[in-house]
Amino acid sequence: MNELPRVLLELTDVTKSFPGVVALDRVSFDLHPGEVHALVGENGAGKSTLINIVSGVLIPDAGNIILDGKPVKLDHPFAAHQNGILTVHQEADLFGSLSVAENMALFQRLPTGRLGFVDWRQVEIDARNSVHETGGQISTRLPAERLSVAHRHMIQVAAALTQGAKIVILDEPTSALSESDARWLFTKIDCLKKDGAGVIYITHRQEEIFMLADRITVLRDGKRVWSGGKRETNREQLINAMVGRRETLASSARRSPKKGPSTPVPLLRVEGLSDRTDRVREVSFNARAGEILGIYGLVGAGRTELAHILFGLRRPSAGRIEVDGARCSFRSPQDAIQAGLAYVPEDRLREGICSGLSVRANTVLSSLRNWTRGFLANSPAEMHATEGIVERLGIRLQSAEQPIGTLSGGNQQKVVLGRWLLTQPRVLVLDEPTRGVDVGAKAEIHRQLRSLADEGCAVVMISSELPEVMANVDRVIAFREGTVAAEFNPSVATAAEVATAVLPQKAYQNSNTPTGRPRGSRQLRGEIALLITVLALGAWLAMASEGLHLVSLLTSAALWSILGLAAASVIVAGGIDISIGSLLALAATSAALVLKLPIPSALSIPLAIVTGMLVGTAGGALNAAVSLWGRVHPIVVTLGTMTIYRGLVILLLGGKPMTGLPPEFGRMAIDPRTGFRGAIVLAVVVIATVYVWLAHTRSGRHLYALGAGPTAARLAGISRTHVWFTAFGVGGLLTGVAGVLQLSMSQQMQARLGAGWELSAIAIAVIGGFAITGGRGTVWGVVLAALLLRMTNSALVRWEVQPEQFDLLIGALILGTVLLDLIWRRRAN
Amino acid sequence: MSNWRRKLISHTLPWLLLAVAMLLVLTQVRRPEMLAAVWVPWAEVGVLAIIMTAIILTGGIDLSIGSMVALCAMVQAVLFGHYGWSIESAACVAIVTGICAGGLNGLLVVAGLSPLVTTLATMAFYRGLAMTISGANRVAGFPETFLTWKTMFGFPTQFGLLFVTGVTAWIVIHHTRFGRWCYAMGDNRLAARFAAVPVSRVEGSLYMASGLVCALVAVLNTMRHNAAVPDAYIGVELQAIACVVVGGTLITGGHGGILRTLLGLAVISLLDIGLQFSSTRVAWITAEARLIVIGLLLIVVAVWNQRLDRAV
Repeated sequence: MNELPRVLLELTDVTKSFPGVVALDRVSFDLHPGEVHALVGENGAGKSTLINIVSGVLIPDAGNIILDGKPVKLDHPFAAHQNGILTVHQEADLFGSLSVAENMALFQRLPTGRLGFVDWRQVEIDARNSVHETGGQISTRLPAERLSVAHRHMIQVAAALTQGAKIVILDEPTSALSESDARWLFTKIDCLKKDGAGVIYITHRQEEIFMLADRITVLRDGKRVWSGGKRETNREQLINAMVGRRETLASSARRSPKKGPSTPVPLLRVEGLSDRTDRVREVSFNARAGEILGIYGLVGAGRTELAHILFGLRRPSAGRIEVDGARCSFRSPQDAIQAGLAYVPEDRLREGICSGLSVRANTVLSSLRNWTRGFLANSPAEMHATEGIVERLGIRLQSAEQPIGTLSGGNQQKVVLGRWLLTQPRVLVLDEPTRGVDVGAKAEIHRQLRSLADEGCAVVMISSELPEVMANVDRVIAFREGTVAAEFNPSVATAAEVATAVLPQKAYQNSNTPTGRPRGSRQLRGEIALLITVLALGAWLAMASEGLHLVSLLTSAALWSILGLAAASVIVAGGIDISIGSLLALAATSAALVLKLPIPSALSIPLAIVTGMLVGTAGGALNAAVSLWGRVHPIVVTLGTMTIYRGLVILLLGGKPMTGLPPEFGRMAIDPRTGFRGAIVLAVVVIATVYVWLAHTRSGRHLYALGAGPTAARLAGISRTHVWFTAFGVGGLLTGVAGVLQLSMSQQMQARLGAGWELSAIAIAVIGGFAITGGRGTVWGVVLAALLLRMTNSALVRWEVQPEQFDLLIGALILGTVLLDLIWRRRAN
Repeated sequence: MSNWRRKLISHTLPWLLLAVAMLLVLTQVRRPEMLAAVWVPWAEVGVLAIIMTAIILTGGIDLSIGSMVALCAMVQAVLFGHYGWSIESAACVAIVTGICAGGLNGLLVVAGLSPLVTTLATMAFYRGLAMTISGANRVAGFPETFLTWKTMFGFPTQFGLLFVTGVTAWIVIHHTRFGRWCYAMGDNRLAARFAAVPVSRVEGSLYMASGLVCALVAVLNTMRHNAAVPDAYIGVELQAIACVVVGGTLITGGHGGILRTLLGLAVISLLDIGLQFSSTRVAWITAEARLIVIGLLLIVVAVWNQRLDRAV
């Protein structure tokens, strides 16, 4: 270990603000080689923002990042990765439908071989090594969505460790690990230190901090409040630094503590409540009228799951809930409201507000029944109620018709609280009611909760902010690992006592064995089912008819395979293109026009083919461009371009079908003299190429990645713009190829060509196993689906069924496929 | 940007377009009394666009409307023509068929399938069903007692249906609890569920209503043509969606309304009719030029609305 640079990473005065919140306020941070620097603080203190800046996900508003003595710009996750910074994010956001091995590789940029193809052997070896490191029995081929949370974390840690990183960021790596797994992690961290790497370590577990860290930095409210060596502090001082001295400040809001319950029967009684996933285990507690009960615990301890069970959003597996002495079982939030419960959810933006709707609409949403006359809604009454809430909670706004998204976080939260006040709840459950809320609004919310309790309501406040709990509640339940660990009286107990009670001491989570088997994935099962159907139908057709026209069957399947792949390449990236039919016609028309040029056919034919392909690609790219730039859903964009492309076709054709194309051109697809079918050859080439592209190139895999996990794609630095242009562009190109092929096969061009084909193309993609939400599906599935559809068509013709009834079958096939997929997915979960 | 200014700006474009379309119609249509007759098919599209608005507001979509119309029309025609039922009972069965077809859509969507895929599938399925029961043949020759319903009080019945559907939808969407729920679901489905909105119930009843409306349109369409054709109304879902989007309802839901769709309907229909009439005199305005105009209109207005909405 000679001549290591003194400072590996240095951040100076880094500031980052989000609308309404300053997440980091001139924070400085440094990391030396061979050390573990622990970053601690409460939830929302700015730790995540800091590591997102170091890992290139966020760009700071101000401040410098100095790496190895040189200032760097980490404006992209790949930039961080190239600088040797590896991050294990806390929420194991993965690409659910992709394999474990690929997930690990995508976060580090897929390794490619000499020809630019993904080096799957390398991916597999890396993954095996990482898994081997963990000592686990995880199959690297398992889709990531079937891993347990613990294994997702371990895999990510292992991947980071085997990459030879200079800086490793571990964001609460042990929160989901069992004790033995955690011990494994600690030995690996020791190895990293010996190799001279620096580790930024974030955790809530005090004993880990003192065991692992060399230095500690404490963040609070986006500011650095303390930094120094491990020996300069102790547990108590650390907790005090984390929670600050705000307790004394805030407790003035508290009235004289309530003495005893005002009613003998508790309003809410929970006994032995558990759920199937063990996130909530044997929880029992009471909440009495007139008191505020605090539930304090770390994020992920199962508090939110408990609240969801109470509110009918999650089904319990055991235990009972009593409201006012009556036993309840809630099947939906509506039931819970009936019983007098209300729930202010944890994630305001996702679960709380309808951000585009007005303050009024948001306020009265859950109490609409109260403001109706007959069956008509009564806007003046709604307005009156809203104004009452605005006044009561001191919500600052311009008008009650203003979209709630334009209010500050604190005011939004007051509206959500107001929504539930209007239902006149007897039991009010609040999940992190003051997260991301400014100080004034926070005090107002606490005042309201107190006055509610005084009115005889039972208030249950879930929080991971200790000073808030200590200052504002009458009783505290310390919640740890899905169950009640202890109960405190906040006027007697100290903050440190409560904080210690919720820390996962020795009790790491139970190690769960890998769930599910690696083999027989849903995808494969679907394809095998499809293959069997195709074979059976083919065999039956061959027997039932004197001569099965295999060649003509394959010829028509050729066209549809290409078109199905065109639809699939867009769908896999999470888009949709319904302009395919018109674009095909446009490409074919342009090709036909070139063929009509007075030049030798040896020249015009290649030119026509290229024109068709170019027109297709341009059409697809236009769809992507309008959708991305205009921020319009692709279905609207392609609906518009569908009519435009069709209009252009008719315009170019001048209202007459076009015939008399050079016969050489027609012979390219089907040569009646020799029986040569160029169409089949073309399709084989296209299928092989698309297969190689989708399965074996970085660009193709990025399509899957974006469709499988948009959030994970962002963390892995996969650009949506880039991927969508590729996806729509290739979709357009394939459509162009199909257009030229169709032109060659039919030897004529008429204005309605391809009308409605987009639906069949999408149907082929869906039947072939491509999920409409993206990220799933294979080329072989599409080919099989195209074959299946053409065979069915032949079968129907043989049965002398009207060809128009074909639709019936397509519809039934799509429905059957997606229903089967739904059932399989339900069973897998 | 304040709310009313935003509203003002987002409203300008459709009204401007409407003014252009009106001008076009006024200058090009020589005999205005023909306008009502020409507009009857658009009234049918309008009825479908209204129910489509409600579905899109909740964040869904129904691509199967054209097929449901065809299916209901064929059920009625076949029961009357081939099985000799009375026209009234045939019409009743057609309406029940529509409700069931819509109900199946609703059931599948509530079960967790994507509305896009579900209605794409049933679009093909119902069309095939219409083809199958009719043997892909048209059925013509309905009794005079049935055809007299073509007009009511001197107006085409389609206008009456458009009026009734429009008013009902306007009341339900803008002035009932149900309507408030629709907006909340379209804006943030999860938050709506957390706020105790009965998401499945709303969704199921909307798709069912869509089936009902399709059946009514089918009956009127049969009257208008004195015939039922199984391949009628292919592509009407796109026209309906275009009316919704041009009116300014967001395709992702949560923002828009019934009156906006009527505005969109007016813009598209008048523009189309105006261009159609002017094509007899101006050589370059052909059917294809009309298609391109409508397509461009759709994209421009959609981008306009979306950029404006996100600009907040």
